[in-house]
Amino acid sequence: MEVPVSGVNFTRQDIEKKSFLIVDDFADMRNMLKGMLQLIGVAEIDSAANGKDAVSAMEQRRYDIVLCDYNLGPAKNGQQVLEEARHRDLIGLGSIFVMITAENTRDMVMGAVEYEPDSYLTKPFTKDLLKARLDKLIARKKDLEDVDRAVRQRSLVEAIRLLDAKISEGSKNLSELQRLKAELCYRVGEYQQAEAIYQQVLSVREMPWARLGLGKVLFSSKRYPEARLLFEALLQENERLTAAYDWLARTLRMLEQSQEAQKILQRAVELSPKAILRQKALADLALENQDDETAERALDQAVRLGRHSVYRHPSLHARLAKTKSRNGSNSAGLKVLKNMRQEFGADQEAELYCCMAEGVIQQDLGNAAAAAASLEKAALLYQKLDLHANPEATLEMAQTCGQMGDPQRAEELIRELVRNNHSEEQFLRQVGGVMRGLGLQADPENFIAEIKREIVHLNNRGVELAREGKLKEAVGLFEEAVEGMPGNRVVNLNTARVLIIFMQRHGVEPARLGKARQYLERVRLMEPENPALRKVDEMYRELASQSAEASGSA
Amino acid sequence: MKFADILASLIHDMKNSLGMVINTLEELSGDTLAGLPAQHKVTVLQQEAKRLSNNLIELLTLYKIENERISANIEEWNLSDFLEEIVAENQVSAAAREVRLESECDADLSGYFDEGLLRGVINSLIGNGLRYTQTRLLLTAGQEDGYLVFKVADDGAGFPEEMLRAQQARANGESLAEGRTQLGIYFAEMVATLHRSRDKRGFIRIANGCLLAGGCFSIWLP
Repeated sequence: MEVPVSGVNFTRQDIEKKSFLIVDDFADMRNMLKGMLQLIGVAEIDSAANGKDAVSAMEQRRYDIVLCDYNLGPAKNGQQVLEEARHRDLIGLGSIFVMITAENTRDMVMGAVEYEPDSYLTKPFTKDLLKARLDKLIARKKDLEDVDRAVRQRSLVEAIRLLDAKISEGSKNLSELQRLKAELCYRVGEYQQAEAIYQQVLSVREMPWARLGLGKVLFSSKRYPEARLLFEALLQENERLTAAYDWLARTLRMLEQSQEAQKILQRAVELSPKAILRQKALADLALENQDDETAERALDQAVRLGRHSVYRHPSLHARLAKTKSRNGSNSAGLKVLKNMRQEFGADQEAELYCCMAEGVIQQDLGNAAAAAASLEKAALLYQKLDLHANPEATLEMAQTCGQMGDPQRAEELIRELVRNNHSEEQFLRQVGGVMRGLGLQADPENFIAEIKREIVHLNNRGVELAREGKLKEAVGLFEEAVEGMPGNRVVNLNTARVLIIFMQRHGVEPARLGKARQYLERVRLMEPENPALRKVDEMYRELASQSAEASGSA
Repeated sequence: MKFADILASLIHDMKNSLGMVINTLEELSGDTLAGLPAQHKVTVLQQEAKRLSNNLIELLTLYKIENERISANIEEWNLSDFLEEIVAENQVSAAAREVRLESECDADLSGYFDEGLLRGVINSLIGNGLRYTQTRLLLTAGQEDGYLVFKVADDGAGFPEEMLRAQQARANGESLAEGRTQLGIYFAEMVATLHRSRDKRGFIRIANGCLLAGGCFSIWLP
């Protein structure tokens, strides 16, 4: 009866040795999958009936392969299980996550924003298909093991180098390697290289992923009008490509068309309502457009979805509460805060957000004493948690102060925000929106632009001094600047850079080396994938290893 | 709710139940019944259930195409991997009919298509082929005249003359499946035409005596 199957069987050993987790809310389905795996020869099989159990199973043990159904009943869905598993690094380096979908949910599932499973498997499928698919995935993972490791260790440049080697060797899945390489180039800021790859793919054939990638490159290179045309054309052909809506909305916002951007995101949310980041982005836009009704709906969804998600954040609850209050129901707002305290327990950052919202609502209710108490508590927490480097929290604090009759403090915080984030255009746009809402400054954009100019000027002068060889002066200037804006990435990086150049000339000093590392660590905390950070990091490593060698040979 | 929607949702449900039946039967024939006379009967049941399941998937997909709820999700796939998966999936049914099911394809070739839709089409062509072939069924994939071509060939009696003639008449735009109740062919044609690139569209062809002695069904995708 055995008919030889064409192809390879050498992986049979591999699959039998893997540990599996099956996640499905139907006992019949779990048993069926388990039966299939047993017939294949797998011995280590655990199962979970819902997302919560799946996550706790993954906390207990690192599985090689997770087979997860998308529909898991009312709480977490498969995508959220995947997000949490990858975000919290619960599944290991070469592990495989297969999303099982019913054919009628596939479109919905494909709208995932951040994390993609290794493969989708559409029900129904047979044991043989499952085995063939898993064999292939195992072989592929093995092929990309080193790249995967480099990515997880954040050595993206190394990952790109490894991919280049594989590409030049010629491989079965060349296009997958190209796609991966383009994505990594984009992440490290090598936009030209990423663009070249996407253009090359597109010259052979129209592929939505390559078109989308190209659009991201255009956006990040600030070529907004081109990006807009591209995303619009892409959506003409692929109306269900939800990621393209997200990028089009972002682009429109940069083009100062926030109303248009909101409409686009509303369509994406209709297509794929379960993505919490998208709901949050919609709420941001609606608030900017003073469309409190839409904002309330989006925030409601974001909070509800967030309950089971790694993207849960107290700022969402606080904004929902305030929006409900603005929409006329202070009691509903207070109820959100009550639930919020229950949900977050002793989390102090959550308490801070809660107090800020409470202050605003109490003031609206006319309870001046309660409002002042909340604000005072919030101010204390803000100091205690040292959140000056956290732009979201600082902006919220500024807004709260502004709404509660302390425009001076609000402006102070906003000045600090702009100084610390002078190169973050998307965020500055949001800051401008908040200022306008509070009636701070007649021309918020000009206010922001002036602070920006000041910093850019300072920066340029420091760089100029360094170029002229006046390193001591340059170090002095930047060290003073970074004191005043410890959250500014550019200034931190430049301070580290001039310190390193200074030491290259005048020899390494442990105290200076330590300072340089501290500035680099600050940037890493705020933005681990900052492209400039990578370059200064390399300079730092070289210097540190030279000095170690020198002291070793002395 | 429109009747068609109710129907679609019921078909979806039936298809899932059937999936359960098929897999339970597979477990039965795999261990408990190995070597017993009843095993053959279980295999027959299994095959009929699979046929039914393929039909339901076709119906459901057609419903979605008609309602424009579907567009081809074109991705790049390695062709030999894809065919190997399909062969693996249908191996038990082929073996039960003592038919040799094989695939032939250059290991390095890849092509652009909607994997789920094509899997459905080829599964149902294999289902049909198994009924009409003598001893063999051959799947191939490759590039021809700027198209990606999948072929399913058998060594049976071939397609009847009138069907081939109908294809000739098709030059004036008539559908091959038109006026026929051949769901399988209609389905394949719908799926082929969902594949578009620049100004080209996919199509299907039938012929006799290419690859093997019997019929040969091919799907051409741009």
